[in-house]
Amino acid sequence: MITNTKIRKVLVCLLCVSIMSLSVYLVLSPKRVYSENENRYLAKFPAPSLETVLNGEFMDSLSDWLADHFPRRDFFVGLKSGVEIASGRKCINNIYVGKDDYLIEPYNKPQNTERITDTLTGFYQKIDTERIDINLMLVPTAVTIYSDKLPAYAPSLDQTETAYAIYDATGIPAIDCTQRLLDGASQGQLYYRTDHHWTTLGAYQGYLAYCDTKGLTPLTLKSLTAQTVTEEFAGTLYSKINDYSHKRDEITVYTNPEDTLTVTYMDTGEVTDSLYNFDYLEEKDKYSLFLNNIHPLVVIENTSAASQDELMLIKDSYANSMVPFLAHHYRKIYVFDTRYYRDGSSSFLADHETVTDILLLYNLNTLDGDTGIRGIY
Amino acid sequence: MVFSCIPFLFFFLPLCLILYYVVPFSWKNGTLLIFSLIFYAWGEPVYILLMLFSTLLDYSNGRLMERFGTTRGRRIFFLCCSICINLSILAFFKYAGFAVSSINGIFNTQFTPPQIRLPVGISFYTFQTMSYIIDLYRGRVKAEHSYVSYLTYVSMFPQLVAGPIVRFSDIQQRLHSREITYAAFEQGMLRFMTGLFKKVLIANQAGVLWEEIHVLGAADTSVATAWLGALCFTLQLYFDFSAYSDMAIGMGKMLGFDYSENFRYPLTAVSVTDFWRRWHISLSTWFRDYVYIPLGGNRKGVPRHLFNIAVVWFLTGLWHGASWNFILWGVYYGVLLILEKYIWGKALAGFPRFIQHAYTFLIVVFGFVIFAITDLGELGSYIRLLFSFGANPAADTRFLWYLGNYGPVLVLACVLACPVYPWICRKAAALSREKSRVFSALSAAAAVLLFLLSTAYMVSDTYNPFLYFRF
Repeated sequence: MITNTKIRKVLVCLLCVSIMSLSVYLVLSPKRVYSENENRYLAKFPAPSLETVLNGEFMDSLSDWLADHFPRRDFFVGLKSGVEIASGRKCINNIYVGKDDYLIEPYNKPQNTERITDTLTGFYQKIDTERIDINLMLVPTAVTIYSDKLPAYAPSLDQTETAYAIYDATGIPAIDCTQRLLDGASQGQLYYRTDHHWTTLGAYQGYLAYCDTKGLTPLTLKSLTAQTVTEEFAGTLYSKINDYSHKRDEITVYTNPEDTLTVTYMDTGEVTDSLYNFDYLEEKDKYSLFLNNIHPLVVIENTSAASQDELMLIKDSYANSMVPFLAHHYRKIYVFDTRYYRDGSSSFLADHETVTDILLLYNLNTLDGDTGIRGIY
Repeated sequence: MVFSCIPFLFFFLPLCLILYYVVPFSWKNGTLLIFSLIFYAWGEPVYILLMLFSTLLDYSNGRLMERFGTTRGRRIFFLCCSICINLSILAFFKYAGFAVSSINGIFNTQFTPPQIRLPVGISFYTFQTMSYIIDLYRGRVKAEHSYVSYLTYVSMFPQLVAGPIVRFSDIQQRLHSREITYAAFEQGMLRFMTGLFKKVLIANQAGVLWEEIHVLGAADTSVATAWLGALCFTLQLYFDFSAYSDMAIGMGKMLGFDYSENFRYPLTAVSVTDFWRRWHISLSTWFRDYVYIPLGGNRKGVPRHLFNIAVVWFLTGLWHGASWNFILWGVYYGVLLILEKYIWGKALAGFPRFIQHAYTFLIVVFGFVIFAITDLGELGSYIRLLFSFGANPAADTRFLWYLGNYGPVLVLACVLACPVYPWICRKAAALSREKSRVFSALSAAAAVLLFLLSTAYMVSDTYNPFLYFRF
């Protein structure tokens, strides 16, 4: 095809030089430990042993290591995604590239509904419902609420079907926030474009649904102080598609000036007066600023709360951005992450007779794979 | 090690070529041999002993046949020794498990099938060493005296694990004296790159969609989706395997060897007979020369001809894998070839060209469905989906979804499966000096971009199998 001999020579030289220089650079360059863009730790250099060499494990690990520490890895990974998106691909790494720059996780066939139902039922049966008001809230994600933003013909299953199956089978009184979220969609952005979480505005819709069911008078957004803390949030979905030119998100946080908060992280013993840790704004995973990322148990006391009630909140990270609204209604909120809380929330309940309410809150997309649910009791 | 991975492209190949070029000629075979053994050991650290044993056996048999093979009977003895041992090794490592479970299935017995992992490339190198000993028996090659040269021939990394099946007679002379020129290096390098692009940018992409479609439940698979899946697998297999041959031929050139072509645009064949003259040529000619013709070919009457075709195609199927679907696939082609030879071949040639293309293409795509799914039960369900008009929708939104996502790459694949590239080359050669410079510069720029993109896929892609490694 390249009939001109000079140009052919230049091309072949160029290819040889590129290959050689990339390989030399790969060996000599300083190695990164962590990839911010991909949000993961990169492979460590494998130590060969007779066993791993003979079964080929060493060679596989070495290949991974080379790929992870390839010069300009971010450029190459981004190039691949960019070209794929340009060629019409609407699904990269199992993430839909939706309309209006929305990246949306598809909902796959749930595998563990039965196990989850059993666990929740077991937990529910031990609760003295005379004394304690318990609710289950399964939050649909962007794939359901923003179905109009999905790429054309994108296959997706119905999340609410799973939710209703679990509500019915467990018998736990449900809080269904689907309608609130659908109605709220006109008021602003309810889910992040680049992350699998809901925004604080989305969490507010969830909070409204919660108040509907519980008969509480919700706070109005106007009574709260809004603060846009970043416009550079590149979340987990962004890291999966590796299109580094993708539009980033804003994070807005709300604070209630009337709250007088004491927030205690039981694992570290740290005590603060804020529901946010803005140190995370300097890092990649900025959603962690809500309730300071992951902790087995956080106790939030509000001396100017609207009631003397105490809430036990068993949840995944979706709840972290809803807690700032809930704090107004409870003197004490015990926030559990049952993936890490080892002592069993049932026994906690036996020791804390002052608890009046329990809320189980999970989003429907990660519910199926959530390992924490097993730790509920 | 596959050719389209970072360790190979950025370390193994440059290092091998540099050393190979700087050492004096008498060391070149040795250098190549050491690198080939490292290459094999990288993916198959233990079975390398089996390959060494297999080559030593044929080498010694060759020497013995030369030394003591004064009568025809003795020559036949050495030939049989070699073939029996080679086929026994192949049978044991590749077919033992299959044979035992088939016997269990047929006679309802309870033998435990042995768990033997298939040594990479065993089907390829066994056929290579057998071609040597048979050709030696026929007096077409001289016995090789240097074990290093013989082992270099069998283990040469470009063709060791997935062909083309190079015959000793084609390569013996080059093993002992060959010219290594810059022109050949350049040609080889560009050929290798072509293969790399085909493999990484097309075969793997078609493969991803096939993997997705063939595990869909029956309820989600419309007729159109099922056929799209079959097309994807066909394209994946063709681009995967022909890319591998391109890379092998390219590296052969860089090392000073000329391997013959293994594919000639098989998907554009006009009949099944034509397809098999274009698909995996080194394998079909191997069966022709070492099985079909020795059996008498078509010269011993119609019944014998039919028998010969049946044997060859049963074996071709079986060669591809220890599983009934491969045998079925071979028999499928055997029957079609007989039908073409004796029933409708002449009539077919009378139809317009596009009908001949369409007829062949459909047969080939359907054939690869048989090839793709090793479990007969699953195969049956998939074939039902291909023809489930009425029961399943003809097309659904999922089909449109796949088409939207993969349409561009599949169209590109279909275009490149036709002889477009040689056509452009012919046109380019006819350009004026000035225009040819511009065209060359543009092509070179495209090649650099494709190289960057292939690198990007190798750096970030996890899906990178070589299909013919299984055989």
